[in-house]
Amino acid sequence: MDNKQKYILKYKDYELEDFLGDGYFISWVKNPNGNSNHFWERWITENVDKSETVMQAATIIRSMTYKNKPELSNKAYVEIFENVLKSEPVSEGKGNEKSSHPTSIWGTIFGFHKIAAAILLIFCAWIILDTYVVKEPVELAPQKWEVRENPAGIKSTIKMGDGTVVNLNSNSKLTFLEKFPDSLRLVKLEGEAFFDVQKDGRPFLVDLGKTQVEVMGTTFNVEKRQEGKLSVALVSGKVKVKDELGNQVILKPMEMLKINEKGEVSLTSFDTTEIIGWKDKILLFKNSNKTEIIQKISDWYGVEVQCDPKIKDNWAYSGEYHNESLENVLKGIKRTLNIDYNINGKKVDLIQK
Amino acid sequence: MKPLKSPKITAASQRRYSEKEYQDMPDESVWESFCLGNEATFSYIYKNFASDLFSYGFQFCGDSHLVEDCMQNVFIYLRKKRENLGQVKSIKSYLFKCIQYEIIKRLKERGVLVDTNEYQYKKAFSIALSPETIMIESESQEQKRMMINQALDQLTSRQRQALILLYEEEMSYSEIADIMGFSEVKSARKLVYRALASLKEVINPS
Repeated sequence: MDNKQKYILKYKDYELEDFLGDGYFISWVKNPNGNSNHFWERWITENVDKSETVMQAATIIRSMTYKNKPELSNKAYVEIFENVLKSEPVSEGKGNEKSSHPTSIWGTIFGFHKIAAAILLIFCAWIILDTYVVKEPVELAPQKWEVRENPAGIKSTIKMGDGTVVNLNSNSKLTFLEKFPDSLRLVKLEGEAFFDVQKDGRPFLVDLGKTQVEVMGTTFNVEKRQEGKLSVALVSGKVKVKDELGNQVILKPMEMLKINEKGEVSLTSFDTTEIIGWKDKILLFKNSNKTEIIQKISDWYGVEVQCDPKIKDNWAYSGEYHNESLENVLKGIKRTLNIDYNINGKKVDLIQK
Repeated sequence: MKPLKSPKITAASQRRYSEKEYQDMPDESVWESFCLGNEATFSYIYKNFASDLFSYGFQFCGDSHLVEDCMQNVFIYLRKKRENLGQVKSIKSYLFKCIQYEIIKRLKERGVLVDTNEYQYKKAFSIALSPETIMIESESQEQKRMMINQALDQLTSRQRQALILLYEEEMSYSEIADIMGFSEVKSARKLVYRALASLKEVINPS
């Protein structure tokens, strides 16, 4: 009795959408003669005021169905069954392996390619746009994926077949199809890149794992260096950022969406030089602390920075360098922070004076 | 062509069940009988789920040839591995997962699909309200129905997929979470509630 009382209280406060999402209610609507009937029949007589809502919810649940539901043809039904029965035994570990634990194909298809920036710059638009348009997808040969990867110290510009230009920052990787299909232009990004997307009717999608950025024709910057953390800064046009739960945010020009490690989302304006200066070879420090400076210098110049433990981390260093050498940057830091440095090939030592 | 490696002949693999017996059996037992090599049980499974699998698979790509091909691969695979397959609580949702995995793998190879936050096939999981539906008692029923249909088109394909699984395929939230790759059931609920919230604005504008 107690239990039932609770149920009645609970359902009494239900609105239309609550009924629509309630598993117990749905199963009654779909199988009105099942086990839950005793409850719902009584509940409705007890709650006449809700009967309209209940009827509405029940009607919606019953009437939602596939818009496109072709029948499996007799021919296919028979053929598949026969082929399955007659299929030759395949030896273990060979052939069409499949597991019931779907895994990502990204990791397996793409090997690690190290490509020098010079080659990247030469890579240009040779892809001829396929103008043959099909309405429904048809069987195509599997496409080849291109991988562009920059180690620390290397930045590159990639011009794609559709006219889109991508500046890829150091420590970043961009993966895309050699030739985009008719329906979609998809690239997968790890790290940071600036996109100048050419408008051509097909959506352009940047896949960041659990989040995606969808655009039509626009310029924007994306950074995602670790799982969870993410920033998208829009310079012009319009982009949509969406996640696997159907959350989505539409950005306006000069807005930046940030998601931190805790999953907190913020929408702010941004300083263009600070966020996208890197693509114009502007190295910018803005009240940077020791860790940030070391990280930036090692990424930017591809060097390993050793720091004297005696150096305190109380820096708030600001400085802007336009295409400067490592030496000049270190000179600037040295003057302001009263430290010394040593460059030894790919190694930099910061020393307390 | 030689038949598939013949399963061991045991009492379990030879037992004949009637249609009624199958219907009364829990899914676990039907599956177990299939895994033990009972060919009659395989026929029963094929007969019962082939059509559902086809219409579900079709939603990902709109390409019947691809779906048929994937169905064949899935069944061949399951028969090949039958001795090593684990317990299955719901055959339908297990098969749905298999066909979905196979189709998505193929679509990715073709480069027409990304890692599935959103299916790029525009008509993926399109939902329609059946026209005979009586939504509200007013003259503008037909208009209302069209508005709801439009609102359904505006949902993300994953939201529509969850609604289809919930209403049309009568799956529980935990099955939906399993099929859609959520580690927590509450994510499946969230997905559905978000979809319902947008529909509600059209059904009962406040």
